[in-house]
Amino acid sequence: MAIPAAGARAISKHFGATRALDGVDFDVLPGEVHALVGENGAGKSTLVRILAGVHRPDAGEIAIDGRVRQFGGPRDAIAAGVISIPQELRLVPALSVAENLTLGDPPLRNILGVRMVDRSRMRAEAAAQLAELDFAPDLALRIDRLSFAERQLVAIAKALRRRCRVLVLDEPTAALEAREIERLFAALARMKNQGTAIVYVSHRLDEVVALADRCTVLRDGRIAATSRRGEFRVADLVKAMTGRAAAAVEASPSAAGAVLLEDATDRPDAIRLRAHEVIGLAGLLRSGAGAVLRRLFGIGKDTVDIRRDGRPRRIVGPSAAVRAGIGFVPDERRLGLVMKLSVRDNILLPSLDRLARNGRLDRAKGDRLVCELMDMLDIRPRHMHVPASALSGGNQQKVILAKWLARDVSVLLLDEPTQGIDVAAKAQIHAVIGDFAKRGGGVLVRSSDLAELALICSGILALHQGRITDRLRRSEGFDEKRLHAAIGG
Amino acid sequence: MRASLKRLNLFGQGPLIALLLLCAIMSLLTGRFLSPLNLTNILVQSSIMAVIAIGMTFVIVGGGFDLSVGSTVALAGSIAAMTMPQFGLIAGVLAGVATGGAVGLVNGAIVAKLGINPFITTLGTMVLVRGVVYIVTGGAPVGDDRLPSAFLAFGTGRFLGIHYLVWVPAILVVVLTWAMQATPYGRRIYATGGNREAAYLSGIPVERIVASTYVWCGALAGLAGVMLAARLQSGQPTAGEFYELTAIAAVVLGGASLHGGEGSLYNSIIGVFIMVVLGNGLNLLNVDSYWQRVAIGVVIIAAAAADRLRSRS
Repeated sequence: MAIPAAGARAISKHFGATRALDGVDFDVLPGEVHALVGENGAGKSTLVRILAGVHRPDAGEIAIDGRVRQFGGPRDAIAAGVISIPQELRLVPALSVAENLTLGDPPLRNILGVRMVDRSRMRAEAAAQLAELDFAPDLALRIDRLSFAERQLVAIAKALRRRCRVLVLDEPTAALEAREIERLFAALARMKNQGTAIVYVSHRLDEVVALADRCTVLRDGRIAATSRRGEFRVADLVKAMTGRAAAAVEASPSAAGAVLLEDATDRPDAIRLRAHEVIGLAGLLRSGAGAVLRRLFGIGKDTVDIRRDGRPRRIVGPSAAVRAGIGFVPDERRLGLVMKLSVRDNILLPSLDRLARNGRLDRAKGDRLVCELMDMLDIRPRHMHVPASALSGGNQQKVILAKWLARDVSVLLLDEPTQGIDVAAKAQIHAVIGDFAKRGGGVLVRSSDLAELALICSGILALHQGRITDRLRRSEGFDEKRLHAAIGG
Repeated sequence: MRASLKRLNLFGQGPLIALLLLCAIMSLLTGRFLSPLNLTNILVQSSIMAVIAIGMTFVIVGGGFDLSVGSTVALAGSIAAMTMPQFGLIAGVLAGVATGGAVGLVNGAIVAKLGINPFITTLGTMVLVRGVVYIVTGGAPVGDDRLPSAFLAFGTGRFLGIHYLVWVPAILVVVLTWAMQATPYGRRIYATGGNREAAYLSGIPVERIVASTYVWCGALAGLAGVMLAARLQSGQPTAGEFYELTAIAAVVLGGASLHGGEGSLYNSIIGVFIMVVLGNGLNLLNVDSYWQRVAIGVVIIAAAAADRLRSRS
């Protein structure tokens, strides 16, 4: 029996009255990928943060290579060889790609006895590391000019550069496309062969099945199951996570209605969206799929000419789009919520003008609306006055959707609406989308998860380099091969 | 109901508790502190700063910062004092407030439309406006004995036993608290200051909201300038120096976050009282004025540190 590279024994952790972890045992062997799955709030992130030295356990101990360690902070964990990539990226916005990648451990050279950063070697190392992931951005670019997915790749490359005993990845593929995921997996396989122990947290269960040597399921702070490769399937994992069997919601193809929204100008990525339609946008990074949504919502300096319910309209900025009955869910939750404000205030944010009577907000009407939506979307906890920051990712995502349902928009533009959230919340959001379309709304949804698009969409547009390269209909059956060819993957 | 109880909880009343503690200490140390004369003094001294702090709260909640209010106080007071002898009381007051509003509009346009850092922008207008004050006044006090008697009475007179100067912020805080808490406009300021990007993506015209907070701040600084001119019985070109720092300190003492999205007018007024009571008490205790500055500086940093600890837990 090999000595685990990292082991946690009988770990318990409380936050106030909440018991996040209750006597959890978990270990990962050298050269092993050990996946950790569970619903939001099951305790995955807490366990990962304890391994990374962010939290201290109330009880239990952590051992690295068989030696018991006490981490006073993330620095201690890094010094012990435990590197983690949290869901939120720890990158410095104002620094370049190369600087971020080598931050904390830049290549140095001696000039007259003074140690200086070797900038040419820094660039070379950064380029080499990114090439492993087959990603070649401009290294001198400020990191905040990259998209969320691109920043994620840089963060992963940064972790891969550090030689480490244990690599902890928390939702590394949440924003990545199929092609980048493949590259990441190849890089992980190399590290694994070199003897690195890998802890892999993901909501994408198909990935877990493909990648993991072992898989542990957490439920309500306890271990619900641990099994070896070949012993687990997606359905088993869902059952262990939720305590019930998975029920897939499929989009019911209802007849499309009148045109709700279409581009008034002729362009390679022109959109036409009808009532009752859920149109998926599929494409790789920089394919222009996200840009379509942002354009239709009036983000950026350009004005956009569209036809809304057949009438020409000019969209100048998001406020005009909202007035035209269009809602937008951005791909990053921090762009969708004002975390300091309450759930209630967030939900009502786009509808303030509608709730005003004689210049004054109708408090009771607002409360009723919020209660209704929180019930409908099953937002937990059911307290409208807690700050949005107190909610889990899945519930935050529901709050962002609720914002637009409160406004009663008829067109929803969704950018990665279920990114990084658990199966149960995902299914609920899919149901809301389906219901919205059934009641006469139109939805345009981008997702890097093609299986998700195939599940919920009535049609899928494939985009490649800013052009629509193929249109697939549910009635013809979504041909995955054809879809992959059309997006250039 | 639960929400309103929550808003009244002990934790949110940190500034008020600090003020009461401070008053208790001062009254123990010197018997003169609680005398009616001294309490009236504190109210009058607080009134002008309170009006400025109300405007500053708009800007800070909206995620901004305004260093130009001190200079605006001087300019508005001088313009008012120069307008009044010829065009009368009302015109003079309006001219003062409009002058402040105009400075705020310039600040707001530069910060919101051009996206220039508010610290730098208002540092620039602070110096610029002070220059304009000296240009229009020639560096000497203006108005003096030619000011209307009603205006001079406003600076010293009382209504229901309370100075007119004190009524101004008292009425403002009630009306504008309503505007910030219960109108769409007010909630948009909080959202914009809390997360400008998310507010923008919710369809809020963030540029206009941000610019408007500077207009409020400028116009209220203008009103404060008029009040100060009434109290000093003239427009003073040197008036209002360091007022910006006192106002910002008071708003932060009141629990507003310099990151935006947090703060309330009521708490900012409490912050003003803390600053004024501290200065007043140290005066009564005959503490050297140089040491007074040291003490006030320590209190500001301590308040910011306490806030940081609270938000971390």
